[in-house]
Amino acid sequence: MMRRAHLTACVTLMLTAGMAVAQPRAGEWVNYRDAYRAMVLFDKYGGPKNLLNNHLQVLPRARGALGQGAQLLMKGKTVQTSLPLDGLGRTTLPLLKAAYDENAVLTPNRALGGFTVRPRVSLALRADGAYEVAELRAACEQALGYARYADNSARGQQCVGVRLVFPRDGEAAAVHLRLGGTATVLPQARGAAFAGDVDDDLPTVTYRFAQAPAQASLHLVMSRLAPSQVLTYNAPLAIVPLFE
Amino acid sequence: MKPFFALALAAASTAASAQTPATNPMPDGSRDMYAGLGVVSRPRYEGADNHKVSALPLLQVQWSNGLFISGMSAGMHLSNRPTVEYGPLLTIHPNRDESGSGQIVDGVGINVGPVTAMRAQNRLVGMEDVSTRLEGGAFFNYYLAPEWRLTSSVLFGAGNDRDGARMEIGVQRLALQLAPQHTVSFNAGATIVNADYNRAYFGVTETEALYSGNPPYRPGGGIKDVKIGARWNWALSPSWMLVTNVQATRLVGQVRHSPLVERPTNVTVSAAFAYRF
Repeated sequence: MMRRAHLTACVTLMLTAGMAVAQPRAGEWVNYRDAYRAMVLFDKYGGPKNLLNNHLQVLPRARGALGQGAQLLMKGKTVQTSLPLDGLGRTTLPLLKAAYDENAVLTPNRALGGFTVRPRVSLALRADGAYEVAELRAACEQALGYARYADNSARGQQCVGVRLVFPRDGEAAAVHLRLGGTATVLPQARGAAFAGDVDDDLPTVTYRFAQAPAQASLHLVMSRLAPSQVLTYNAPLAIVPLFE
Repeated sequence: MKPFFALALAAASTAASAQTPATNPMPDGSRDMYAGLGVVSRPRYEGADNHKVSALPLLQVQWSNGLFISGMSAGMHLSNRPTVEYGPLLTIHPNRDESGSGQIVDGVGINVGPVTAMRAQNRLVGMEDVSTRLEGGAFFNYYLAPEWRLTSSVLFGAGNDRDGARMEIGVQRLALQLAPQHTVSFNAGATIVNADYNRAYFGVTETEALYSGNPPYRPGGGIKDVKIGARWNWALSPSWMLVTNVQATRLVGQVRHSPLVERPTNVTVSAAFAYRF
């Protein structure tokens, strides 16, 4: 008896649901309100964040679906704009009341076979490509502070370094670590920019803060003579903070 | 990040449990609203052996100032932190009469099964009706991680004497994305009530015993039920969503031995279309 009741409830709705799914390119959209909700958290965060960037990242189900020229189109009743995506599928989402109230929709300008979006925090890039180690540490700490604000599970984590992510088809990623008067090349690897990315074959260089000189006194002397720096000769797509 | 569709849509209101949707930051002066209609199959009353199918209106509104309405509950988010939610909470506790509990979602109840047989076995015949009550209290939720939420609420004012109190505690796994536009959430929890609550809904007074034929029963307080459930949200389009809920509840402790309880374990199933305004 109970089963019949449940069955009636479910079957009726499922049949109707099947008829209601008359929509183009299933899965090829995201509500602006949901994206806004994910992104506004960073905006409301009152802690230090001047060394950080916050982007909305488009994550296609299939690797390599984005490519050059990919955009996210934002459409509402009165709001209509296109948001160019960078090599990692990221864009800056404008936080607009009009788009929120109109329940605007975000759609890609090409078929992606389904996608999701996520907020991504990374370190602000410098035009000269030279990053003081102290500044990288400070930026990583800012990112950790925000992560702890947004996620209780980040409370036990520490900043351990940064990962520089470069374009797949760009020039070889040459990154040097300059300590005092000596410069060493940091090893390159292939990997994902952010945890959870489908594309895990990008050129990356990881700099761990523990790579600084073991003797603190030596480090102090050297940093007074010349500050420790991470030098990039090709612009990275992103510098991602590493927590462990 | 906050998972998308982490909203506790009102379809879960069939058991009159207190609902607190996740904090939903939005531009000043804006609101986010879902409204819809569906069907629900649920026990005729808590502990009943038979079920009824009825219409299920669905409503959830959140405003930028933190106010929300979610099913039979209303409240206000007062916390500014994304990892903690708390605030006042009001809930309408449904009435119960001989026909069973409900009226929470209006609904022209369709009794499943032979009516005559049900009447003959209706343990609520001769029992005093319990009126609809407005309960007041508070909620407190804590995020272990963005997708894991511990929930709790305390509400007072149930029962004819308005002295029934209940506390709900639970854990939720929010918005597990199966595929684009498909998310599933899971929850588990328990309800702890005082003796007055139990006596109002599961007790049998001497007078009621005379009229109903049920033996007198005077339960104390304690854990009333444990429950586990799942919710599947299917975003059919940017504005339309299909919300499907399944929840199994088991009455435990002294409630389970009430003469009014025919079946301690029951399942509630609902499905509803919601439009996002």
